[in-house]
This record gives sequence, C-alpha cells and structure tokens, in this order.
Amino acid sequence: MTLTPQKSGVPEQRRHVMQVRKRNGDLVPVDVNKIVKAVELWVADLDEVDPLRVATRTISGLYDGATTAELDKLSIQTAAELIGEEPQYSRLAARLLAAYVGKEVRGQGVESFSQSIRFAHGLGLIGDETAAFVARNARKLDDAVDPDGDRRFEYFGLRTVADRYLLRHPTGRVVVETPQYWLLRVACGLSRNANEAIGFYRLMSSLAYLPSSPTLFNSGTRHTQMSSCFLVDSPKDELDSIYERYHQVAKLSKFSGGIGIAWSRIRGRGALIRGTNGKSNGIVPFLKTLDAGVAAVNQGGRRKGAACVYLEPWHPDVEEFLELRDNTGEDSRRTHNLNLANWIPDEFMRRVEADAEWSLIDPSDAPELPDLFGEAFDEAYRGAEKKAVKTIKARDLYGRMMRTLAQTGNGWMTFKDRSNALSNQTGEPGNTIHLSNLCTEILEVNSDDETAVCNLGSINLGAHVGADGVDWVRLRETVRTAVVFLDRVIDINYYPSAQAAASNPRWRPVGLGLMGLQDAFFRLRLPFDSAEARELSTRVQEEILLTALEVSADLAANHGAHPAYAQTRAAKGDLHPDLWNAPISQPDRWNALRTRIAGHGLRNSLLVAIAPTATIASIAGAYECIEPQVSNLFKRETMSGEFLQINTYLVRELKSRNLWTAGIRERIKRAEGSVQGITELPEDVRQLFRTAWELPQRALIDLAAARAPFIDQSQSLNLFMAAPTIGKLSSMYLHAWKAGLKTTYYLRSRPATRIQQATVSLIPELTPAETCSLENPESCEACQ
Amino acid sequence: MLLDPGMDLTLRPMKYPHFFDRFKDAIKNTWTVEEVDLHSDLADLARLSDAEKHLVSRLVAFFATGDTIVANNLVLNLYQHVNSPEGRLYLSRQLFEEAVHVQFYLNLLDTYVPDLDERAAAFAAVDNIPSIARKAEFCFKWIDSVFELRRLETREHRRAFLLNVICFAACIEGLFFYGAFAYVYFLRSRGVLQGLASGTNWVFRDESMHMAFAFDVVDQVRAEEPDLFDAEMERQVRDMLAEAVECEVQFAGDLLEQGVSGLSLGDMREYLQHVADRRLAALGIDPIYGSKNPFAFMELQDVQELSNFFERRVSAYQMGVSGSVGFDEDF
Repeated sequence: MTLTPQKSGVPEQRRHVMQVRKRNGDLVPVDVNKIVKAVELWVADLDEVDPLRVATRTISGLYDGATTAELDKLSIQTAAELIGEEPQYSRLAARLLAAYVGKEVRGQGVESFSQSIRFAHGLGLIGDETAAFVARNARKLDDAVDPDGDRRFEYFGLRTVADRYLLRHPTGRVVVETPQYWLLRVACGLSRNANEAIGFYRLMSSLAYLPSSPTLFNSGTRHTQMSSCFLVDSPKDELDSIYERYHQVAKLSKFSGGIGIAWSRIRGRGALIRGTNGKSNGIVPFLKTLDAGVAAVNQGGRRKGAACVYLEPWHPDVEEFLELRDNTGEDSRRTHNLNLANWIPDEFMRRVEADAEWSLIDPSDAPELPDLFGEAFDEAYRGAEKKAVKTIKARDLYGRMMRTLAQTGNGWMTFKDRSNALSNQTGEPGNTIHLSNLCTEILEVNSDDETAVCNLGSINLGAHVGADGVDWVRLRETVRTAVVFLDRVIDINYYPSAQAAASNPRWRPVGLGLMGLQDAFFRLRLPFDSAEARELSTRVQEEILLTALEVSADLAANHGAHPAYAQTRAAKGDLHPDLWNAPISQPDRWNALRTRIAGHGLRNSLLVAIAPTATIASIAGAYECIEPQVSNLFKRETMSGEFLQINTYLVRELKSRNLWTAGIRERIKRAEGSVQGITELPEDVRQLFRTAWELPQRALIDLAAARAPFIDQSQSLNLFMAAPTIGKLSSMYLHAWKAGLKTTYYLRSRPATRIQQATVSLIPELTPAETCSLENPESCEACQ
Repeated sequence: MLLDPGMDLTLRPMKYPHFFDRFKDAIKNTWTVEEVDLHSDLADLARLSDAEKHLVSRLVAFFATGDTIVANNLVLNLYQHVNSPEGRLYLSRQLFEEAVHVQFYLNLLDTYVPDLDERAAAFAAVDNIPSIARKAEFCFKWIDSVFELRRLETREHRRAFLLNVICFAACIEGLFFYGAFAYVYFLRSRGVLQGLASGTNWVFRDESMHMAFAFDVVDQVRAEEPDLFDAEMERQVRDMLAEAVECEVQFAGDLLEQGVSGLSLGDMREYLQHVADRRLAALGIDPIYGSKNPFAFMELQDVQELSNFFERRVSAYQMGVSGSVGFDEDF
C-alpha cells in the first residue's frame, strides 16, 4: 500500500460553500460577515476581542446543514474557548449567551418581568403569593430591572445560571425568565413590599451578595425549601429509629438540602441484640443502605443527594468506618456516595499526643457518651473504659484517619469539644451539638425530635474592596440587608420534615458567610500568608459578626427574641468573642450592642458560618469563600461542561509588564498554573500569586484560627497537600486542633501521575528545575 | 541489554530503576469500575441528537475491543521480549489496568445498550463495522509481524519488535485512543455523558503512562543499540503513523457522518495530524504534517481540574500513602 499522507480520500467539508438552516427551514449560505456583525454588537468596551477570529473559528467547527440555533450556540462556545488567551472573551461569551437566553424568553411572548411571573405561574412554577405580589407591584418592579445587569457576569457564572437556575418550561424545557428576572423573582419571594424587593434585587444583581443555592432555586416558587443544611441526630439504637432516619433523609434530600447525620448511637459489630439473642452486624450494613438511599434521591434532576456521616472515634466500628470510601475491598462494605467525618473529643487528641491507649466502647454499654462534651465526657468515657470492646493505640487510629484523608480526601477532622464549648446554643445542660453538616461549617444543637436547619448566604468581599482597602460602610450595608433576608427565610421556608420544622423556629439560626477573600487579597496585593492578610481577614470577620448581631438585636426589638433565647450563652451576657477571650477592635460598638441585647435579646441564636460557596462564587465570578486560589489556570468540571478559569489579576499584572505572551502562557500551563518558574516576574509578585499548593498550610490554619472568634458557627476549611504523607498530615491536623479550630473540611491532594498534556509543546530536555515535580516527589532527590 | 533474549529474574542490582518508578506511580493511580457513576449518562443519551447518538454508538463499539487488543499484544509480545524484571513489573501492572479498562467499557456498553441484539452487535464491531474493522486490521498486522518471534536474535528481529512497540505506543494508544478521547472530551465540554468522561479520564491517565513507558523502552533500546535506528526505520515509522492517521480519519468520517456542530471532520483531521506529529517528535523524527491542534476543549485537558464535589467524584486522590504519625513535620 502506498501512503500519501497529505492527501486523503475523505471529502473535505470546506470545499463547497457551507449552508445553515434558518428557523423557518430555508437553507442559506454561511456568511462570515454576518457573524462578525453579530459579535461586534457586544464588544464596544472589549478592546482585546477580535470578532473576525470568533467568526472564522465558529465556521471551522460547523457542518454543512447545521441550524442557525446551532450556529449561535457554537459562536458562544467558540468565544468561551478563547478565554485562556484573553480573559475578555469571557465577557463576550457571557453577553452572547445572555442575548441567546433573552431571545428564548421573548420567543414565548414574555417581554417583561411581570409577564414572566404571570407566564410561569400559569405553568405551575410560581407560588400564588409571589404571583399576587408581583401583579400588585407590576409597574414598579418591571421598571426596576437593570437592562445592563447581565453585563456583570462572566461566562462561567452566566452559563451556570442559564443551565441550572432559570425556571424552565415543564415540557418544552426552554427558559421562561432572564437572569435579571430570576434575581428579582428571588427577591420578591422574600419581600413584603416592592421597595424591599427592589433593594434586595439590586444587592444581588450587583453580585455583592448571593443567598445559597436552595434560596436561589426555590424562592418565589411553589416549593419554597430554601435551606441548605440539615443536621440529623444519630438514630436511636433500634431498628425503627434507623428506618425513620432513612425516610427523613430522603425527604430532606429531595428538596436540595445537604445532610449531616450522626451514627454514634448505633451498636457495633458483635454486640448482643437481646430481642433475637443474635449478634449485631454493626453500622456498616446500615450505612450501605443509607448510601443507596441518598444516591436514589434526585434533587430536581440536577444532582444526586449528598450526605455526610459523623462518627465519634470511640465507636467500636470506627476502623471499618474509615474504610467506607476505599476503592478496594468488598463492595458491600463500601459507600461511594456518603461523605465521612470524625467527630473527635479532645480526650482522643490528648492521648494521640501522649502516645497512650484508646478504648473502643460499644454505645449500648455507654449510651450517654454522644450527649456529653468537655469534662463530663472525659469522666464518663474513662468510667466506661472498663467495658471496652477493644483497646488500641490512639496513634494507630489517628494514623488510619490520616491515611483515609490522604487516600480519599474524606474523613474530615471535626472537634466535638471546641464545637460545643464555643457555641451560643449550649448554654444549658442537655443541649448538645452532635455533629456538623455536609460542609463542616454549621454547628447547631439537635436531638431525636429536632433536626437542625440552616439557611445560608455569602458576601462577595471582592466587591467591597477598592484600591484603598475595604469599603466598610458598604460592607455594613450589605450585612444589614443580608441578615434581614436570611432571617426572613426562616418564616417563609417549607420544612420537609417535622423534626426540622420543630427546631428552626425555636433557634432561628442563620449562616452569613463570605466569598472572594482571595480577590480582596489580590486587589490589595497581600500575600495570603502575610500578617496584613491575617489582620484584614480578622477585621472583616469582626465587622460581619458585629453588624449581624446588631441587626439581630434590632429584629428582636421588633419581633421578639427567638423562643430558645433564654437557653443561650448570649442570654447570660457571653457573646461569641468572649468565649474565645479574643481581642476586639471596636469596643464602643460591642458595648452598645451588649446593652441592646440585654434589653431585647437576639432574634437569631447563630448568625455567621462560612460555607464553601462552590456554585454561588462561580455565579459571582469570585474565588471560593476563604480559600486561596488553587491555580492561576485551571478548569472547572460541572454538569454544564468544562470551563477554563484564569487568574485575571495575574493576566493584568503580566500585561502591564508586556509578559502576556504565548510563550509565558504555555509555561504557566506546563507548570499546571504555577508562576513560580516565571523568573521574569519579580519575587514579590510571584509570592502574591502562589497557589494553595504552594502556600504553607500553617498559614491557612492560622488565618482561620484568627478569624474564628468572629464566626459563631464554623468555617469550611479545605487544606491542600500535593503529596501527603502520614507524618505531614498528623503534624498538620494536630496543629489545627491546638490552634482551636472547631472543624476542618476536605484534604485536597493531587493525582500521582497525570494525563500527558496534549497541547503544550514537547520539551526534549527537561531542565533540573522542571524535573523537580510535585507530582513525582518520590523520584525527586533534589527535595530530600 | 534490554532486548537480549531471556527471562532475567534478578531485581538487584536494579538495572532500570526508572521502570520501577513507573510501576510505583501506576499503583498510586488505582481506580475501580465501581467508582464510575454512569447513571446520569442515561438521561443524557436520551437527549442527544441522532448525529450525536451515532457518534456515541460507534465510539463505544470501538472501546469494546480496543483495550483487549492492546492487552493481547502486551502478553504475546512485549512481556516476552522486554527482558527486565522491573520492566515486567510495570507490564504486569499495565496488564491489570488494561483489564480494568476492558471491564469499564464492558460495564459501559451493558449500561448504554440495553437491547441484547444491539449489544452483541456492538461487541462484534471489529467484524461488522467497516471503519472499526479497518483499525483492527492495522493492529493485527503489527501484532502478527512479530508473533512468530520467540527470541530476538538478529538485528532484524529487534527492529521488527521495536516497530511493534512503536505501533502500539504511538499509533494505537497514542493516536487511536487519543482520537477516541477527543470525542469523549468534546461531549464533556458540552456537559453531557459525565460518567463516560470521568471513567475515560482515568483510562486516559493510565494510557498516558503506558505510552510513556513504551517510549522509555524505545529510548532505552536506542541508547543501548543506536544502530537499530536508521533512515529505513524512520521511514517505516513515518509510513506507519501516516497509515494510522488515515485509519483514524476514515473512522472519524464514519462517526461524524451526520454532522456534529463544533466537531467538523476537517478539524478532526487537523487534530489527528497534530497528535501524530507529536508522537514523531517524541521519537526524534521530523513532523509529517505541521498541523496545529484546533480543539480548545483538548487544551482543557492540560490544566488542573477542580471539581465541584456535589457534582463529580474528584479523581485526584492517591493510593499508597507512606509514613508514620509524627508531629514536627513541615506543612
């Protein structure tokens, strides 16, 4: 066979003039100029965008006979694919997408906000109350829609909104609201009058604050389940209670709640079952059932349910528990969907440190242990040790916990005693926090007949920071609006279980969080591990808690304190920073606040929690919560597809130095988003743009500990270690405990090897610096 | 020397420690089929256009047999002739990985193709789908070329064996599979078939290692016996890659027959040529085509992933963590 590589037998598509099929069915030739014109409509302020490039690349990907709708979608996709070269294409792609969505909405005869509500109400999507509210205030609300609102979105944010948040026609699946209508609808669902709604809409539309996804999904609809988190106490040690919990978890999951559930009360493997005179199979088979139940629940078609199981480390099945996420071993003893967390008493950590023995005790022999913390727990635990099922070295168990973290990222370390001792809700004996939630930022008391609930929202800190620093007045205003609406959710919310409905009105907790801390640091050019960064993050947190408490005190003056207020530490005069003995920077405001609280109490038992903000940070175009950037260049994989994310602060910096070249881009890509090898950049700039993998984790922990006195719940603190070892992890988590953190979250690590890069050029010879790779530390002698 | 006939059994002193490193790295990447959740794919499949459905059905039909062919060559040829116990450790590990891939695609087809007759037809693709049969023939040709060799006694034997290694690394794993991955990643970039994509991501990670190991072997042999590589060998390799590109382009013509927006045949050819040039570059051979990668969604494969854990299983964790509990290490 003769091979003539340049020629091929397959007909070339581009040889004849390509045609597209219009919506009316006519075929017309593809016209590059038409595409260029369509793009030019949106690029007035985007000087780096080249409309011709978008047009020609779009045509290159097209096939003969494609529809014009396919052409429109492809041009959006094509613009998005150029983001890695020039971040302005993200804005362009977002605008093209907004235009596409707008066309889809208008295509159903919807020309205004009030029409979209009326239309969606007719389709059974909008609740009667919100529909009536909008009808009453139609003109005012229609006028409030900001025609330029969509210009604030980046592509990834708007794509997420379009694919997952906008209401869709139940059968046609086309969207029936624009992004701005959506935010106004969310505001209307929580408001009592038009001005309130417009104020809240403007705050969200500015992307300076967003409530959590369940609120964004469901506000104003017929199913107003707007809470993010549910904390379910361990079932009692009996079959009926276990099956009741499965039912409850399924109901909570259905309406997009994330579940934390404790399991420490259930007897371990081999314990006697008196009713049948048999021996228990332990917790694993029950957790396997829970695993299947959680996976079966489909949250509105967009994601599977999610749950985290909490177990205390004295439970006899703790070693099997730590293997539940392993990808080897008997599958009937593996739970691939459940997350796992350790709920650790200080006594365990003390014994780890002292290299002492640790007793595993069956809960049927010491049923009081889950309800005790601090010295009462220590005493009861020591007393129960004589009934121990098994004794092991505390360090061996701790080592296994570290192994689970390294291998699965799961098995989060959360600390029971700190969580309880430093909570406003545990002012009276009998009120115990038994676990945290799916993301380890919520800490609330619960019991067999009360399931704790929390609804969340997050401030976009980056939007409150200019070149001169934080705009404190604006930040305070944002907190004020946010707390009022978080509190409002409690009354309007639909509670999927009776236990949840029993708890939330009594305690009225909310979780006001934060995102874009990294944006703030980039804007102010503060390295993440600098003292200035720590100070700023602490002061921001103080301002947020202080203002939130002020608002809650105001709400209490108007509507009364929450019913369980008398049982809180605040009722005894202890506010959260007092529990930490933390220094405060605004003593006058704190003192005034104390006086106010002494008069009327607080409307909310808890106010602040820092959630991971994965999706809403994407919508706002901010870095996630309190996290450092993971990379200067990375991709996000979501149900909407894959998205390149690039550090625009870095791009600006490089452009200002004429360093934003194809060569530098390729070097950053080859270094997996690190700029440490870009020696053209001065040392201080490289320090600023370190990634989470390159920062000392001690700094992350210390920053978290410094702000913790101003977080009355907790924070979702991820830790990052490219190549974890047991030694490093055990040192790190001991430090986290000693620093006084209540909880930690995922351990993020990196794959041992990676897919060969397909698009960076091959380098025939590696320089010594490049062979020293984070991915292959064991082969790297330079670091040892 | 590496290709000396025989079954060297002595691991110490170790002659090729970099082979052993690859073996250890591969173990850290262990994954199992049970971890891949295909349940959302079924809903996606129902939503695909006819053209996309055709693409997917052809693609999975290729996957149904692709890894089995590679595994066969591994056992029948590579294991026999790579005379290094540490190298054979890696090959044993690779064989396990190929088996996992086969199991993954078996599971995939069972899930995607509920109709038993259609399923049987998909598994018989090498026999009855011409575009796939053509690729299989190409593979068999190069397996057969060395199948009779029990011992690599002569220079010609060794050259024939090297061509087999290069064929499997550069053309089959390095081009056919890379072509297939492009379709999967195209679909993923559009937000569909996440289950297929997450499994494929792990397969791809493994395949990258397989290819790298095979190129290690080639480099090692070249260092030991430079005279095996001459102009004639280079010509043969170029012809082989050109033929592989042709095979894969005609496969693409079949897959994209009905028109898929964003994935034109012209762009696909460009991509395959670009990949082929890279394989040649890895072997120190001048490019044939000078083509550029036209697919931005493939560039996405080159950057670190950050999954939203609500939606995806993160594939970044490591097996085999070492060390013991201590409290004074840096972190």
